[in-house]
Amino acid sequence: MRETIAELLEIDVASVRGEQLLREDLGMDSLTSLELLSTLSREMKVDLEMEDAMEIVTVDDTVRFVERHLAC
Amino acid sequence: MKRALVIGATGFLGLNVVDALQARGVAVRATWRKKSITVFAQKRRPEWRLAELDDLAAMEDAMRGCDVVFFAAGHYPRYSLDARAAIERGRADVRAVCTAAMRAEVPRVIYTSSIGTLDGSVEGPVNEDDRTPEPPLESVYRATKWAMEEEVDVALARGLDVVTILPGACLGPWDVRLGTTGVLVALLNHALPWWVDGVVNVADVRDVANAHVAAAEMAPRGARYCFGGHATTMRVLFEQMCARWALPFPAEELDASSARERADAEEREAAPRRGRVPMPRELVDLVTWGRRVDSSRAALELGVVARDHWTTLEDARRWLERMGHVPKTLPNTMPTTVPSTMPTTVPKTMRASRAEGASDEVDERGRSSATCARDDRGAVGDRRRVGAG
Repeated sequence: MRETIAELLEIDVASVRGEQLLREDLGMDSLTSLELLSTLSREMKVDLEMEDAMEIVTVDDTVRFVERHLAC
Repeated sequence: MKRALVIGATGFLGLNVVDALQARGVAVRATWRKKSITVFAQKRRPEWRLAELDDLAAMEDAMRGCDVVFFAAGHYPRYSLDARAAIERGRADVRAVCTAAMRAEVPRVIYTSSIGTLDGSVEGPVNEDDRTPEPPLESVYRATKWAMEEEVDVALARGLDVVTILPGACLGPWDVRLGTTGVLVALLNHALPWWVDGVVNVADVRDVANAHVAAAEMAPRGARYCFGGHATTMRVLFEQMCARWALPFPAEELDASSARERADAEEREAAPRRGRVPMPRELVDLVTWGRRVDSSRAALELGVVARDHWTTLEDARRWLERMGHVPKTLPNTMPTTVPSTMPTTVPKTMRASRAEGASDEVDERGRSSATCARDDRGAVGDRRRVGAG
């Protein structure tokens, strides 16, 4: 997941840490959030709603989000 | 038409073209790229193909077996800062797609251009025949679109069947990357720092999508269709929206020259961080180019006319609210969708008369003659408060 986020933001994967805020710390804007949601949707093969993006605030949230959907 | 490929299916127009095709029972194939925002298109269940525009083999493979290719992903320069690069990229995109289409023996390509390629020096409303003979180099956006049409001409001469649609400023749902809709976002957030007056042709993206699909089925080879939508002025449009939605009128009006300078400066500042500005230079160019567009050929031959522009604006606003770009409104006391007296698709028997009535003349208040009656009927609603959340 850190690799995916780093690739979307075009930054070094080593600079992506779990507790970081996607927007404030990593500079993720609304478009990149949608790109992330799209990537997650494709990789997990599930339909996601815009509202799903609202609960993802940190890198760790993204990991938990994926784990929860994969467990379903 | 049984199967169509939509290039650009994850974008604003493309999503609406997919909807229009699926509403007619057409099977949709869609290309995507690594950084595409696929989350919205995925719900429409297209047959996905991973293909970059310049990947000839992948693009040709995606096109094989399709009756029509909708090319709704032509280069749209995000900033008007580098004319040469924008024009080269635009030409390359069109060349690549047309080459793939010829190799795949696609029966027809529907190409999305822009009214910005039309000649602003002619008298009266402009139409498809008013192509400017020389590239409008004063505008990166317009020059790029002009050059791309020149590449379409080359493909036509080589035997490809291409029909071109020239839309006005598209508004409506699914503007994922906030193109023209960015102005609406800024206005609704009381954050439009300045503006420039001129004629603006507001087209509902769903009508434009319907025109694309109709063109695929009905247009002669090589035909071109303008779809300008509702012709008005920026001032009147802002006045109407501010009155209807109880918004402050944007304070600083610039003349054309100052607006171009300001837009350029703001884009130079925004480009390094890949930001978007509220009044991009291409919109300044289109507004100050300022011509009313005659869409009667699309009405007459394709049976597609513009829906009421308030339907477009309200639906665009609702979509922006859902995406969290603008504050949600309080429960509304007035119908948000003003019933149009004119259907989007006109029955064949009515086309000629409807087309005559759809001239979209702009009166002294900048209103279209075809919509004045509907606007006036909505005047009571204009004075009602639609609260900002």
